[in-house]
Amino acid sequence: MSLAEDNGPERGGDEILAAEYVVGVLPLDERQAANRRIENEAAFARLVDQWEVHLAPMAAAYQPVEPPETVKPAIDRQLFSGPAGAGSAAAGGGLWASLAFWRGLAAAAIAAFAVYAAIPFINPPVQQPEMRLIASLAGDGSDVKYLAMYDAADSRVSLSHVSGERATDRDFELWMIEGQNPPVSMGLIPAGATAHIVITPEIREKLASGAVLAISLEPVGGSPTGQPTGPVVAAGDLKNL
Amino acid sequence: MTPQDITKLIVRVSMKDRGAFDLLYRQTSAKLFGVCLRVLNDRAEAEEALQEVFVKVWTKADRFAVSELSPISWLVAIARNHAIDRVRARRQPVAHIDAALDVADPAPGPEALAVAGSENERIYNCLDELEQDRAAAVRGAYLKGESYAELAERHSVPLNTMRTWLRRSLMKLKECLER
Repeated sequence: MSLAEDNGPERGGDEILAAEYVVGVLPLDERQAANRRIENEAAFARLVDQWEVHLAPMAAAYQPVEPPETVKPAIDRQLFSGPAGAGSAAAGGGLWASLAFWRGLAAAAIAAFAVYAAIPFINPPVQQPEMRLIASLAGDGSDVKYLAMYDAADSRVSLSHVSGERATDRDFELWMIEGQNPPVSMGLIPAGATAHIVITPEIREKLASGAVLAISLEPVGGSPTGQPTGPVVAAGDLKNL
Repeated sequence: MTPQDITKLIVRVSMKDRGAFDLLYRQTSAKLFGVCLRVLNDRAEAEEALQEVFVKVWTKADRFAVSELSPISWLVAIARNHAIDRVRARRQPVAHIDAALDVADPAPGPEALAVAGSENERIYNCLDELEQDRAAAVRGAYLKGESYAELAERHSVPLNTMRTWLRRSLMKLKECLER
């Protein structure tokens, strides 16, 4: 993945633009252009996200104000009544991405996930809640996207293929990167809409929120060296679910 | 509600769980309405904006997984950016009625600072390294969504000068934050 700073004479250009966007000073046309870039360019979106993180503490100064009770019903009407999707269509830009994202999930994965989500509502936590982590894997200059879910209960990582194909003579290999340690291979990702990779106890011990999952492009059969040899096509942080 | 609880709600919302959406609204709408109100400075418009913000939250909740923001900061960012987009799209920039009285206001009050933990001190320390009027410009722009044009008018400097000032301040800020 190349860094935005490497882009020659405009060094710092995107960095400062991201900052101006987050501070909020840009005129309408420049804001709209930036909004489009956030949608379409992962590297720029990440710069914006970093500035949001830097400046977020200032938002403590916003005092909460109870909105009138009419607002929530209006939201529900817009989203949930009328012909299916009518409300969503009003949402504009992010919609297709969101739909494409979730359509990419196999029905089985959604169903399994929905059950987890429902459990706390159905019965109070009787047993120890098992750790579940989720990561959205994507990269710059690559259309490869996967959604990864790890459930400590069954020691495997489930992957839903969202977009991006591998070349016929290449394999996708999944890596875990924890802190400053070198990447550890979790195995090859089988082709298909969903894939499951059973993980070893050593990796299981290290898998935690904050670890990064990454997918590299490797020769068929996987990296010959035990470390990634090809470009990283997608990566993302694990978050608690 | 802990940040973890809000994270769970957002993930469930991304799976189109309406119960989670209702709960998320109950837990966070007051903060987000406060954001819209401060930026838009108009109650009716802020109500519309809040409505649009939660429609966005419903449709874009999956994006949370790729953000490094805490869940509440992620929601605030959606509300803030949406309110700023709206304020910029107004046909004519309506001068804030309280603009003249408000010049010194943007600094967070003592109660807000008391809430801010040590992680938050860094941004404030870095703002303190800027000249006072520049730090005030950054804060004012952030909290009220003021444009370059509005800042230039308030500080009585040409637009381009304002832009140069603010950009330099932002680069200084970044340098300090990364130290």
